[in-house]
Amino acid sequence: MRIAIIGSGPGGYVAAIKAAQLGAQVTVIEKDEVGGTCLNWGCIPTKTLSASAEALYKAKRLSEYGIDVQGEVKPDLSRIIDRKDKVVATQIKGIRSLFKFRNINLIEGSGRIKSIGQIDVEKRDGTRQVVEADKIIIASGSRPARISTFPIDGKSILSSNEAVVLRQLPQSLIIIGAGVIGCEFACIFAEFGVEITMLELLDRAVSTEDYEISEILERELKKKKIKVVTGVKVERVEILPDGVRAVVEGEKTYSAEKMLVSIGRQYNTEDIGLEAVGISKGPRGEIIVDDSMETTIKGIYAVGDVVGGMLLAHVASKEGIVAAVNACGGDMKMDYSVVPAAIFTSPEIGSVGLREHQAVSKGLKVRAGRFQFRALGKAHAMGEIAGFVKIIADSDSDRILGVHIIGPHAADLVHEGALAIKGGMTAKQLGEMIHAHPTLSEGLMEAAEDVHGSAIHSAK
Amino acid sequence: MNPEDIKYHKEHTWAKVKGKKATIGITDYAQESLGDVVYIDLPETDIDVEANTDLTEIESTKATSAVISPVSGTILEVNDKLADSPEVINEDPYGKGWIAVIEMSDQSELDVLMDADEYEAYIEEESK
Repeated sequence: MRIAIIGSGPGGYVAAIKAAQLGAQVTVIEKDEVGGTCLNWGCIPTKTLSASAEALYKAKRLSEYGIDVQGEVKPDLSRIIDRKDKVVATQIKGIRSLFKFRNINLIEGSGRIKSIGQIDVEKRDGTRQVVEADKIIIASGSRPARISTFPIDGKSILSSNEAVVLRQLPQSLIIIGAGVIGCEFACIFAEFGVEITMLELLDRAVSTEDYEISEILERELKKKKIKVVTGVKVERVEILPDGVRAVVEGEKTYSAEKMLVSIGRQYNTEDIGLEAVGISKGPRGEIIVDDSMETTIKGIYAVGDVVGGMLLAHVASKEGIVAAVNACGGDMKMDYSVVPAAIFTSPEIGSVGLREHQAVSKGLKVRAGRFQFRALGKAHAMGEIAGFVKIIADSDSDRILGVHIIGPHAADLVHEGALAIKGGMTAKQLGEMIHAHPTLSEGLMEAAEDVHGSAIHSAK
Repeated sequence: MNPEDIKYHKEHTWAKVKGKKATIGITDYAQESLGDVVYIDLPETDIDVEANTDLTEIESTKATSAVISPVSGTILEVNDKLADSPEVINEDPYGKGWIAVIEMSDQSELDVLMDADEYEAYIEEESK
Protein backbone atom coordinates (compact mmCIF):
# COMPACT_ATOMS: atom_id res chain seq x y z
CA MET A 1 0.00 0.00 0.00
CA ARG A 2 1.42 3.37 -1.05
CA ILE A 3 0.01 6.38 0.79
CA ALA A 4 0.82 10.01 -0.05
CA ILE A 5 0.01 12.79 2.38
CA ILE A 6 -0.15 16.49 1.57
CA GLY A 7 0.91 18.46 4.63
CA SER A 8 2.76 17.46 7.79
CA GLY A 9 0.99 19.32 10.57
CA PRO A 10 -0.53 17.40 13.49
CA GLY A 11 -3.05 15.87 11.06
CA GLY A 12 -0.62 14.88 8.33
CA TYR A 13 2.39 13.75 10.31
CA VAL A 14 0.36 11.62 12.71
CA ALA A 15 -1.46 10.04 9.74
CA ALA A 16 1.95 9.32 8.18
CA ILE A 17 3.31 7.60 11.25
CA LYS A 18 0.10 5.61 11.80
CA ALA A 19 0.06 4.46 8.16
CA ALA A 20 3.73 3.47 8.39
CA GLN A 21 3.02 1.52 11.58
CA LEU A 22 0.33 -0.34 9.66
CA GLY A 23 2.86 -1.30 7.02
CA ALA A 24 2.20 1.26 4.31
CA GLN A 25 4.87 2.88 2.20
CA VAL A 26 4.38 6.57 3.04
CA THR A 27 5.35 9.78 1.27
CA VAL A 28 4.73 13.15 2.90
CA ILE A 29 4.75 16.35 0.86
CA GLU A 30 5.39 19.54 2.84
CA LYS A 31 5.74 22.97 1.33
CA ASP A 32 6.80 24.82 4.48
CA GLU A 33 8.19 22.97 7.50
CA VAL A 34 7.14 19.76 9.23
CA GLY A 35 4.80 20.32 12.14
CA GLY A 36 2.55 22.71 10.24
CA THR A 37 0.80 25.67 11.83
CA CYS A 38 0.69 24.03 15.23
CA LEU A 39 4.42 23.64 15.62
CA ASN A 40 5.68 26.56 13.57
CA TRP A 41 3.09 29.30 14.00
CA GLY A 42 0.47 28.29 16.51
CA CYS A 43 0.26 26.06 19.56
CA ILE A 44 3.92 25.58 20.33
CA PRO A 45 5.21 29.12 19.62
CA THR A 46 2.40 30.71 21.65
CA LYS A 47 2.85 28.29 24.52
CA THR A 48 6.55 29.10 24.55
CA LEU A 49 5.72 32.81 24.68
CA SER A 50 3.15 32.28 27.39
CA ALA A 51 5.74 30.34 29.41
CA SER A 52 7.95 33.44 29.25
CA ALA A 53 5.00 35.62 30.24
CA GLU A 54 4.26 33.32 33.16
CA ALA A 55 7.89 33.39 34.29
CA LEU A 56 7.77 37.18 34.21
CA TYR A 57 4.48 37.24 36.12
CA LYS A 58 6.04 35.07 38.83
CA ALA A 59 9.22 37.13 38.85
CA LYS A 60 7.27 40.34 39.39
CA ARG A 61 5.55 38.74 42.38
CA LEU A 62 8.63 37.12 43.93
CA SER A 63 8.43 39.23 47.08
CA GLU A 64 4.97 37.76 47.74
CA TYR A 65 6.75 34.40 47.97
CA GLY A 66 9.35 35.83 50.33
CA ILE A 67 12.10 36.10 47.76
CA ASP A 68 14.14 39.25 47.28
CA VAL A 69 15.33 40.15 43.85
CA GLN A 70 17.65 42.99 43.01
CA GLY A 71 17.42 45.08 39.90
CA GLU A 72 14.64 45.34 37.38
CA VAL A 73 12.70 42.36 36.09
CA LYS A 74 11.86 42.95 32.44
CA PRO A 75 11.23 41.03 29.25
CA ASP A 76 13.62 40.96 26.30
CA LEU A 77 11.37 39.98 23.44
CA SER A 78 14.21 39.18 21.09
CA ARG A 79 15.59 36.56 23.47
CA ILE A 80 12.10 35.28 24.19
CA ILE A 81 11.68 34.72 20.43
CA ASP A 82 15.13 33.05 20.27
CA ARG A 83 13.97 30.63 22.94
CA LYS A 84 10.77 30.00 21.01
CA ASP A 85 12.77 29.29 17.85
CA LYS A 86 14.92 26.82 19.75
CA VAL A 87 11.92 24.97 21.16
CA VAL A 88 10.34 24.81 17.70
CA ALA A 89 13.59 23.60 16.11
CA THR A 90 13.86 20.78 18.66
CA GLN A 91 10.30 19.67 17.93
CA ILE A 92 10.91 19.80 14.17
CA LYS A 93 13.92 17.55 14.62
CA GLY A 94 11.75 15.20 16.62
CA ILE A 95 9.19 14.80 13.83
CA ARG A 96 11.93 14.42 11.21
CA SER A 97 13.60 11.66 13.20
CA LEU A 98 10.26 9.89 13.71
CA PHE A 99 9.82 9.98 9.92
CA LYS A 100 13.29 8.53 9.44
CA PHE A 101 12.65 5.81 12.00
CA ARG A 102 9.44 4.83 10.19
CA ASN A 103 11.01 5.06 6.73
CA ILE A 104 8.62 7.84 5.74
CA ASN A 105 9.74 9.68 2.64
CA LEU A 106 9.57 13.46 3.12
CA ILE A 107 9.47 15.57 -0.01
CA GLU A 108 9.83 19.31 0.50
CA GLY A 109 7.64 21.07 -1.99
CA SER A 110 4.07 21.91 -3.01
CA GLY A 111 1.84 19.00 -3.90
CA ARG A 112 -1.09 19.16 -6.28
CA ILE A 113 -3.35 16.21 -6.99
CA LYS A 114 -3.13 15.49 -10.71
CA SER A 115 -5.40 12.50 -10.87
CA ILE A 116 -6.68 9.84 -8.51
CA GLY A 117 -3.41 8.18 -7.57
CA GLN A 118 -0.99 10.87 -8.73
CA ILE A 119 0.37 13.99 -7.05
CA ASP A 120 2.43 16.49 -8.97
CA VAL A 121 5.09 17.99 -6.71
CA GLU A 122 6.94 21.22 -7.33
CA LYS A 123 9.95 20.77 -5.15
CA ARG A 124 11.59 23.55 -3.20
CA ASP A 125 14.72 23.21 -5.34
CA GLY A 126 12.65 23.95 -8.45
CA THR A 127 12.50 20.41 -9.83
CA ARG A 128 9.28 18.47 -10.34
CA GLN A 129 8.30 14.97 -9.34
CA VAL A 130 5.17 12.89 -9.71
CA VAL A 131 4.31 10.83 -6.64
CA GLU A 132 2.26 7.70 -7.32
CA ALA A 133 -0.03 6.56 -4.53
CA ASP A 134 -2.83 4.08 -3.94
CA LYS A 135 -4.43 6.38 -1.36
CA ILE A 136 -4.07 10.10 -0.71
CA ILE A 137 -4.60 12.01 2.55
CA ILE A 138 -5.01 15.78 2.31
CA ALA A 139 -3.86 17.62 5.44
CA SER A 140 -3.18 21.05 4.00
CA GLY A 141 -4.36 22.99 7.05
CA SER A 142 -5.44 26.60 7.41
CA ARG A 143 -4.02 30.10 7.65
CA PRO A 144 -5.08 33.33 9.39
CA ALA A 145 -8.25 34.67 7.76
CA ARG A 146 -7.88 37.89 5.82
CA ILE A 147 -10.66 40.30 5.02
CA SER A 148 -10.31 43.64 3.26
CA THR A 149 -11.33 45.63 6.37
CA PHE A 150 -8.06 44.59 7.99
CA PRO A 151 -5.23 44.89 5.47
CA ILE A 152 -2.56 42.76 7.16
CA ASP A 153 0.80 44.20 6.08
CA GLY A 154 3.02 42.44 8.60
CA LYS A 155 4.26 45.80 9.88
CA SER A 156 1.48 47.81 11.51
CA ILE A 157 -1.26 45.25 11.06
CA LEU A 158 -0.27 41.75 12.03
CA SER A 159 -1.74 38.30 11.90
CA SER A 160 -0.77 35.70 14.49
CA ASN A 161 1.99 34.56 12.09
CA GLU A 162 3.79 37.91 12.43
CA ALA A 163 3.01 38.18 16.13
CA VAL A 164 5.12 35.09 16.95
CA VAL A 165 8.20 36.51 15.24
CA LEU A 166 7.93 40.08 16.55
CA ARG A 167 11.23 41.08 18.11
CA GLN A 168 10.33 44.47 19.46
CA LEU A 169 7.44 45.15 21.78
CA PRO A 170 4.99 47.78 20.64
CA GLN A 171 3.94 50.27 23.28
CA SER A 172 0.29 49.55 22.54
CA LEU A 173 -1.69 46.97 20.59
CA ILE A 174 -5.25 46.72 19.34
CA ILE A 175 -6.41 43.13 19.03
CA ILE A 176 -9.28 42.51 16.65
CA GLY A 177 -11.26 39.53 17.89
CA ALA A 178 -11.46 38.26 21.47
CA GLY A 179 -11.55 34.59 20.58
CA VAL A 180 -9.01 31.97 21.63
CA ILE A 181 -6.06 33.40 19.67
CA GLY A 182 -6.79 37.04 20.51
CA CYS A 183 -7.15 36.34 24.23
CA GLU A 184 -3.97 34.26 24.39
CA PHE A 185 -1.94 37.02 22.74
CA ALA A 186 -3.61 39.66 24.93
CA CYS A 187 -2.45 37.86 28.08
CA ILE A 188 1.07 37.37 26.74
CA PHE A 189 1.63 40.92 25.53
CA ALA A 190 -0.10 42.54 28.51
CA GLU A 191 2.31 40.69 30.79
CA PHE A 192 5.18 42.05 28.71
CA GLY A 193 3.89 45.55 29.41
CA VAL A 194 2.01 46.30 26.20
CA GLU A 195 -1.16 48.36 26.56
CA ILE A 196 -3.94 46.23 25.03
CA THR A 197 -7.35 47.08 23.65
CA MET A 198 -9.49 44.22 22.35
CA LEU A 199 -12.36 44.83 19.95
CA GLU A 200 -14.83 41.97 19.63
CA LEU A 201 -17.85 41.77 17.36
CA LEU A 202 -19.74 39.29 19.55
CA ASP A 203 -21.06 40.08 22.99
CA ARG A 204 -18.38 38.25 24.96
CA ALA A 205 -14.81 37.02 24.95
CA VAL A 206 -14.17 33.34 24.04
CA SER A 207 -17.74 33.04 22.81
CA THR A 208 -17.40 29.31 22.16
CA GLU A 209 -17.06 28.66 25.90
CA ASP A 210 -19.62 28.50 28.68
CA TYR A 211 -20.99 31.95 29.60
CA GLU A 212 -19.58 31.82 33.11
CA ILE A 213 -16.11 31.06 31.75
CA SER A 214 -16.29 34.14 29.52
CA GLU A 215 -17.40 36.22 32.46
CA ILE A 216 -14.49 35.19 34.65
CA LEU A 217 -11.98 35.51 31.80
CA GLU A 218 -13.21 39.04 31.06
CA ARG A 219 -12.74 39.92 34.69
CA GLU A 220 -9.23 38.46 34.75
CA LEU A 221 -8.38 40.42 31.59
CA LYS A 222 -9.66 43.54 33.32
CA LYS A 223 -7.39 42.83 36.27
CA LYS A 224 -4.48 42.85 33.83
CA LYS A 225 -5.67 46.28 32.61
CA ILE A 226 -6.61 44.81 29.24
CA LYS A 227 -9.48 46.80 27.79
CA VAL A 228 -12.08 44.45 26.31
CA VAL A 229 -14.76 46.11 24.20
CA THR A 230 -17.43 43.62 23.13
CA GLY A 231 -20.31 43.99 20.71
CA VAL A 232 -18.45 46.41 18.43
CA LYS A 233 -18.01 46.23 14.70
CA VAL A 234 -14.84 47.75 13.31
CA GLU A 235 -15.82 49.69 10.20
CA ARG A 236 -12.38 50.53 8.94
CA VAL A 237 -8.74 50.71 9.86
CA GLU A 238 -6.47 53.65 9.16
CA ILE A 239 -2.71 53.42 9.05
CA LEU A 240 -1.17 56.51 10.65
CA PRO A 241 2.47 57.63 10.54
CA ASP A 242 2.94 56.42 14.12
CA GLY A 243 0.46 53.59 14.36
CA VAL A 244 -3.01 52.40 13.50
CA ARG A 245 -6.53 53.53 14.22
CA ALA A 246 -9.67 51.42 14.29
CA VAL A 247 -12.92 53.19 13.59
CA VAL A 248 -15.94 51.40 14.97
CA GLU A 249 -19.63 51.88 14.32
CA GLY A 250 -20.71 55.23 15.65
CA GLU A 251 -17.37 56.76 14.64
CA LYS A 252 -15.67 55.99 17.94
CA THR A 253 -11.97 55.38 17.40
CA TYR A 254 -9.22 53.37 19.07
CA SER A 255 -5.54 53.98 18.35
CA ALA A 256 -2.43 51.96 19.02
CA GLU A 257 1.07 51.43 17.70
CA LYS A 258 0.16 48.08 16.14
CA MET A 259 -2.84 45.93 15.46
CA LEU A 260 -3.21 42.15 15.67
CA VAL A 261 -6.00 40.61 13.61
CA SER A 262 -7.34 37.35 15.04
CA ILE A 263 -10.71 36.90 13.42
CA GLY A 264 -10.51 33.24 12.51
CA ARG A 265 -8.87 30.87 10.08
CA GLN A 266 -9.18 30.19 6.38
CA TYR A 267 -8.85 26.73 4.81
CA ASN A 268 -5.93 25.92 2.55
CA THR A 269 -7.85 24.42 -0.35
CA GLU A 270 -6.30 26.36 -3.22
CA ASP A 271 -3.68 24.90 -5.57
CA ILE A 272 -3.85 21.36 -4.24
CA GLY A 273 -5.79 19.96 -7.17
CA LEU A 274 -9.23 19.46 -5.61
CA GLU A 275 -10.86 20.45 -8.91
CA ALA A 276 -8.75 18.01 -10.95
CA VAL A 277 -10.45 15.05 -9.30
CA GLY A 278 -13.73 16.74 -8.31
CA ILE A 279 -13.49 16.79 -4.52
CA SER A 280 -16.50 18.64 -3.07
CA LYS A 281 -16.32 21.54 -0.68
CA GLY A 282 -18.85 22.68 1.89
CA PRO A 283 -20.48 26.10 2.34
CA ARG A 284 -17.48 27.54 4.17
CA GLY A 285 -14.95 26.22 1.71
CA GLU A 286 -13.98 23.23 3.84
CA ILE A 287 -13.41 19.82 2.27
CA ILE A 288 -16.41 17.56 2.82
CA VAL A 289 -15.60 14.21 4.43
CA ASP A 290 -17.62 11.37 5.91
CA ASP A 291 -17.01 9.85 9.34
CA SER A 292 -14.21 7.69 7.98
CA MET A 293 -12.51 10.95 6.82
CA GLU A 294 -12.93 10.03 3.17
CA THR A 295 -13.72 12.88 0.75
CA THR A 296 -16.37 12.65 -1.95
CA ILE A 297 -13.73 10.87 -4.05
CA LYS A 298 -13.02 7.29 -3.05
CA GLY A 299 -9.48 6.68 -1.87
CA ILE A 300 -8.81 10.34 -1.09
CA TYR A 301 -9.08 11.35 2.53
CA ALA A 302 -8.85 14.75 4.23
CA VAL A 303 -8.06 15.58 7.85
CA GLY A 304 -7.35 18.53 10.13
CA ASP A 305 -8.29 22.19 9.79
CA VAL A 306 -9.06 21.81 6.08
CA VAL A 307 -12.17 19.75 6.86
CA GLY A 308 -13.54 22.49 9.15
CA GLY A 309 -15.35 21.76 12.41
CA MET A 310 -13.11 21.97 15.44
CA LEU A 311 -9.80 23.49 14.38
CA LEU A 312 -7.73 21.82 17.05
CA ALA A 313 -4.39 20.06 16.68
CA HIS A 314 -5.47 17.04 18.71
CA VAL A 315 -8.64 16.66 16.66
CA ALA A 316 -6.52 16.80 13.49
CA SER A 317 -4.25 14.07 14.87
CA LYS A 318 -7.19 11.81 15.68
CA GLU A 319 -8.67 12.43 12.23
CA GLY A 320 -5.25 11.56 10.81
CA ILE A 321 -5.25 8.25 12.63
CA VAL A 322 -8.78 7.47 11.43
CA ALA A 323 -7.86 8.31 7.83
CA ALA A 324 -4.64 6.27 8.00
CA VAL A 325 -6.40 3.23 9.44
CA ASN A 326 -9.11 3.37 6.78
CA ALA A 327 -6.65 4.05 3.97
CA CYS A 328 -4.78 0.91 5.05
CA GLY A 329 -7.93 -1.17 4.78
CA GLY A 330 -9.21 -0.89 8.33
CA ASP A 331 -12.57 0.36 9.54
CA MET A 332 -12.54 3.24 11.99
CA LYS A 333 -15.00 6.08 12.51
CA MET A 334 -14.25 9.56 13.81
CA ASP A 335 -16.01 10.35 17.09
CA TYR A 336 -16.27 14.01 18.13
CA SER A 337 -18.39 13.46 21.24
CA VAL A 338 -15.62 14.01 23.79
CA VAL A 339 -13.05 16.59 22.72
CA PRO A 340 -11.24 18.45 25.48
CA ALA A 341 -10.04 21.90 24.50
CA ALA A 342 -7.51 24.20 26.11
CA ILE A 343 -7.05 27.95 25.98
CA PHE A 344 -3.74 29.23 27.29
CA THR A 345 -4.86 32.52 28.67
CA SER A 346 -3.83 33.54 32.15
CA PRO A 347 -5.50 31.87 33.93
CA GLU A 348 -5.92 28.88 31.62
CA ILE A 349 -9.21 27.50 30.39
CA GLY A 350 -10.02 23.84 29.88
CA SER A 351 -13.38 22.63 28.66
CA VAL A 352 -15.02 19.45 27.48
CA GLY A 353 -18.56 18.46 26.62
CA LEU A 354 -21.66 20.61 26.65
CA ARG A 355 -21.75 24.22 27.74
CA GLU A 356 -24.73 24.94 29.98
CA HIS A 357 -26.55 26.97 27.31
CA GLN A 358 -25.96 24.19 24.77
CA ALA A 359 -27.45 21.62 27.12
CA VAL A 360 -30.46 23.83 27.75
CA SER A 361 -31.02 24.50 24.05
CA LYS A 362 -30.91 20.75 23.43
CA GLY A 363 -33.86 20.53 25.79
CA LEU A 364 -31.89 18.74 28.52
CA LYS A 365 -32.60 19.37 32.16
CA VAL A 366 -29.31 19.97 33.88
CA ARG A 367 -27.82 20.79 37.24
CA ALA A 368 -24.54 22.66 37.59
CA GLY A 369 -22.01 22.36 40.39
CA ARG A 370 -19.34 24.97 40.92
CA PHE A 371 -16.26 25.24 43.04
CA GLN A 372 -13.80 28.10 43.33
CA PHE A 373 -10.08 27.46 43.40
CA ARG A 374 -9.75 30.07 46.15
CA ALA A 375 -11.34 27.59 48.53
CA LEU A 376 -8.46 25.13 48.02
CA GLY A 377 -5.34 25.07 50.14
CA LYS A 378 -3.18 24.12 47.17
CA ALA A 379 -4.30 27.18 45.20
CA HIS A 380 -3.30 29.41 48.11
CA ALA A 381 0.02 27.65 48.55
CA MET A 382 0.72 28.22 44.87
CA GLY A 383 -0.48 31.80 45.04
CA GLU A 384 -2.93 31.20 42.17
CA ILE A 385 -6.46 31.50 43.50
CA ALA A 386 -8.46 32.91 40.58
CA GLY A 387 -11.02 30.80 38.75
CA PHE A 388 -13.38 27.93 39.30
CA VAL A 389 -14.58 24.52 38.14
CA LYS A 390 -18.08 24.05 36.76
CA ILE A 391 -19.60 20.63 36.21
CA ILE A 392 -22.83 20.18 34.33
CA ALA A 393 -24.81 16.99 34.92
CA ASP A 394 -28.11 15.66 33.65
CA SER A 395 -30.80 16.27 36.30
CA ASP A 396 -32.34 12.84 35.86
CA SER A 397 -29.47 10.46 35.20
CA ASP A 398 -26.80 12.57 36.97
CA ARG A 399 -24.41 11.76 34.13
CA ILE A 400 -21.74 14.40 33.58
CA LEU A 401 -22.34 16.31 30.35
CA GLY A 402 -19.80 19.10 30.54
CA VAL A 403 -16.77 20.21 32.55
CA HIS A 404 -15.54 23.78 32.35
CA ILE A 405 -12.51 25.04 34.19
CA ILE A 406 -10.81 28.41 34.37
CA GLY A 407 -7.85 28.62 36.69
CA PRO A 408 -4.34 27.30 37.29
CA HIS A 409 -3.50 24.25 35.12
CA ALA A 410 -7.07 24.10 33.81
CA ALA A 411 -5.85 22.68 30.49
CA ASP A 412 -4.40 19.66 32.28
CA LEU A 413 -7.18 19.31 34.86
CA VAL A 414 -9.92 19.11 32.25
CA HIS A 415 -8.89 15.59 31.21
CA GLU A 416 -10.35 14.09 34.35
CA GLY A 417 -13.63 15.60 33.18
CA ALA A 418 -13.12 14.19 29.69
CA LEU A 419 -12.53 10.73 31.12
CA ALA A 420 -15.63 11.00 33.31
CA ILE A 421 -17.78 11.97 30.32
CA LYS A 422 -16.26 9.28 28.09
CA GLY A 423 -16.86 6.66 30.78
CA GLY A 424 -20.44 7.80 31.36
CA MET A 425 -19.80 8.67 35.00
CA THR A 426 -22.27 10.48 37.22
CA ALA A 427 -21.49 13.58 39.26
CA LYS A 428 -22.07 11.49 42.37
CA GLN A 429 -19.43 8.95 41.30
CA LEU A 430 -16.88 11.65 40.54
CA GLY A 431 -17.58 13.36 43.85
CA GLU A 432 -17.18 10.08 45.71
CA MET A 433 -13.79 9.31 44.26
CA ILE A 434 -10.92 10.11 46.63
CA HIS A 435 -8.80 12.98 45.32
CA ALA A 436 -5.31 13.55 46.65
CA HIS A 437 -4.76 16.48 48.98
CA PRO A 438 -3.50 19.10 48.46
CA THR A 439 -4.11 19.30 44.72
CA LEU A 440 -6.02 21.47 42.30
CA SER A 441 -7.90 18.31 41.25
CA GLU A 442 -9.85 18.53 44.48
CA GLY A 443 -11.72 21.33 42.70
CA LEU A 444 -13.28 18.75 40.36
CA MET A 445 -14.33 16.54 43.25
CA GLU A 446 -15.89 19.47 45.10
CA ALA A 447 -17.64 20.80 41.98
CA ALA A 448 -19.05 17.30 41.38
CA GLU A 449 -20.29 17.21 44.97
CA ASP A 450 -21.72 20.68 44.53
CA VAL A 451 -23.98 19.36 41.76
CA HIS A 452 -25.91 17.88 44.71
CA GLY A 453 -25.20 20.79 47.04
CA SER A 454 -22.83 18.75 49.17
CA ALA A 455 -19.38 20.25 48.58
CA ILE A 456 -17.47 20.03 51.85
CA HIS A 457 -15.42 23.18 51.49
CA SER A 458 -18.24 25.44 50.41
CA ALA A 459 -20.00 27.85 52.75
CA LYS A 460 -22.99 28.60 50.59
CA MET B 1 -18.67 49.49 66.35
CA ASN B 2 -20.89 50.26 63.39
CA PRO B 3 -21.40 53.96 62.72
CA GLU B 4 -24.71 55.56 63.76
CA ASP B 5 -25.17 57.86 60.80
CA ILE B 6 -25.64 55.19 58.15
CA LYS B 7 -28.27 52.65 57.18
CA TYR B 8 -27.66 48.91 56.87
CA HIS B 9 -28.95 46.28 54.48
CA LYS B 10 -29.40 42.67 55.54
CA GLU B 11 -26.93 41.57 52.85
CA HIS B 12 -24.27 43.46 54.78
CA THR B 13 -24.00 46.61 52.75
CA TRP B 14 -24.49 50.16 53.98
CA ALA B 15 -25.77 53.48 52.64
CA LYS B 16 -24.77 56.89 53.85
CA VAL B 17 -27.37 59.36 52.68
CA LYS B 18 -26.90 63.02 51.80
CA GLY B 19 -29.87 64.53 50.01
CA LYS B 20 -30.66 62.27 47.07
CA LYS B 21 -27.22 60.71 47.03
CA ALA B 22 -26.25 57.56 48.85
CA THR B 23 -22.69 56.37 49.29
CA ILE B 24 -22.52 52.57 49.32
CA GLY B 25 -20.08 50.13 50.85
CA ILE B 26 -19.85 46.79 52.63
CA THR B 27 -20.01 46.50 56.40
CA ASP B 28 -17.23 45.66 58.80
CA TYR B 29 -18.92 42.32 59.44
CA ALA B 30 -18.90 41.62 55.69
CA GLN B 31 -15.23 42.44 55.23
CA GLU B 32 -14.37 40.39 58.31
CA SER B 33 -16.24 37.33 56.98
CA LEU B 34 -14.82 37.73 53.48
CA GLY B 35 -11.23 37.92 54.61
CA ASP B 36 -8.58 39.71 52.55
CA VAL B 37 -10.23 41.43 49.61
CA VAL B 38 -8.12 40.90 46.49
CA TYR B 39 -10.33 42.42 43.81
CA ILE B 40 -13.51 44.34 43.29
CA ASP B 41 -15.16 44.46 39.91
CA LEU B 42 -15.92 48.18 39.89
CA PRO B 43 -19.30 48.99 38.35
CA GLU B 44 -19.58 51.55 35.59
CA THR B 45 -21.03 54.98 36.16
CA ASP B 46 -24.31 56.14 34.61
CA ILE B 47 -25.91 52.74 34.82
CA ASP B 48 -29.02 52.00 36.84
CA VAL B 49 -29.16 49.55 39.70
CA GLU B 50 -32.05 48.18 41.65
CA ALA B 51 -32.23 47.69 45.36
CA ASN B 52 -31.63 44.11 46.55
CA THR B 53 -29.80 43.15 43.35
CA ASP B 54 -26.11 42.79 42.52
CA LEU B 55 -24.23 46.06 42.39
CA THR B 56 -21.00 44.25 41.68
CA GLU B 57 -18.82 41.34 42.79
CA ILE B 58 -16.03 41.26 45.25
CA GLU B 59 -13.26 38.68 45.47
CA SER B 60 -11.44 37.79 48.63
CA THR B 61 -8.89 35.10 49.25
CA LYS B 62 -11.74 32.94 50.52
CA ALA B 63 -14.71 33.64 48.31
CA THR B 64 -16.33 35.60 45.55
CA SER B 65 -19.53 37.30 46.60
CA ALA B 66 -22.05 39.71 45.26
CA VAL B 67 -22.33 43.21 46.67
CA ILE B 68 -26.07 43.83 47.02
CA SER B 69 -27.25 47.38 46.48
CA PRO B 70 -29.30 48.70 49.41
CA VAL B 71 -31.03 51.30 47.20
CA SER B 72 -32.20 51.80 43.62
CA GLY B 73 -30.87 54.54 41.37
CA THR B 74 -28.13 55.61 39.01
CA ILE B 75 -24.45 55.12 39.73
CA LEU B 76 -22.87 58.58 39.82
CA GLU B 77 -19.41 57.75 40.99
CA VAL B 78 -17.24 54.73 41.78
CA ASN B 79 -14.20 54.52 44.01
CA ASP B 80 -11.47 54.03 41.38
CA LYS B 81 -8.82 53.78 44.09
CA LEU B 82 -10.10 50.31 44.88
CA ALA B 83 -8.90 49.05 41.50
CA ASP B 84 -5.30 49.05 42.65
CA SER B 85 -5.86 48.88 46.40
CA PRO B 86 -8.86 46.66 47.11
CA GLU B 87 -7.45 45.99 50.59
CA VAL B 88 -8.76 49.44 51.62
CA ILE B 89 -12.15 47.72 51.93
CA ASN B 90 -10.72 45.64 54.78
CA GLU B 91 -8.89 48.54 56.35
CA ASP B 92 -11.63 51.13 56.27
CA PRO B 93 -14.98 49.65 55.17
CA TYR B 94 -17.03 52.67 56.28
CA GLY B 95 -14.61 55.32 55.03
CA LYS B 96 -11.99 55.06 52.29
CA GLY B 97 -13.37 51.68 51.33
CA TRP B 98 -16.64 53.09 49.94
CA ILE B 99 -17.61 51.50 46.64
CA ALA B 100 -20.05 53.76 44.79
CA VAL B 101 -22.30 56.80 45.01
CA ILE B 102 -25.85 56.26 43.81
CA GLU B 103 -28.43 58.90 43.00
CA MET B 104 -31.50 57.37 44.58
CA SER B 105 -34.69 56.99 42.60
CA ASP B 106 -36.87 55.92 45.54
CA GLN B 107 -35.99 57.29 48.94
CA SER B 108 -38.71 55.25 50.62
CA GLU B 109 -36.42 52.25 50.23
CA LEU B 110 -34.38 53.69 53.07
CA ASP B 111 -37.22 52.98 55.48
CA VAL B 112 -36.71 49.23 55.32
CA LEU B 113 -32.98 49.47 56.04
CA MET B 114 -31.69 48.94 59.56
CA ASP B 115 -30.10 51.44 61.91
CA ALA B 116 -26.87 50.61 63.75
CA ASP B 117 -28.59 49.00 66.75
CA GLU B 118 -30.88 46.89 64.62
CA TYR B 119 -27.99 45.77 62.44
CA GLU B 120 -25.94 44.82 65.46
CA ALA B 121 -28.76 42.69 66.78
CA TYR B 122 -29.19 41.23 63.31
CA ILE B 123 -25.58 40.09 62.93
CA GLU B 124 -25.58 38.74 66.43
CA GLU B 125 -28.58 36.64 65.53
CA GLU B 126 -27.02 35.61 62.21
CA SER B 127 -23.71 34.53 63.69
CA LYS B 128 -25.40 32.33 66.28
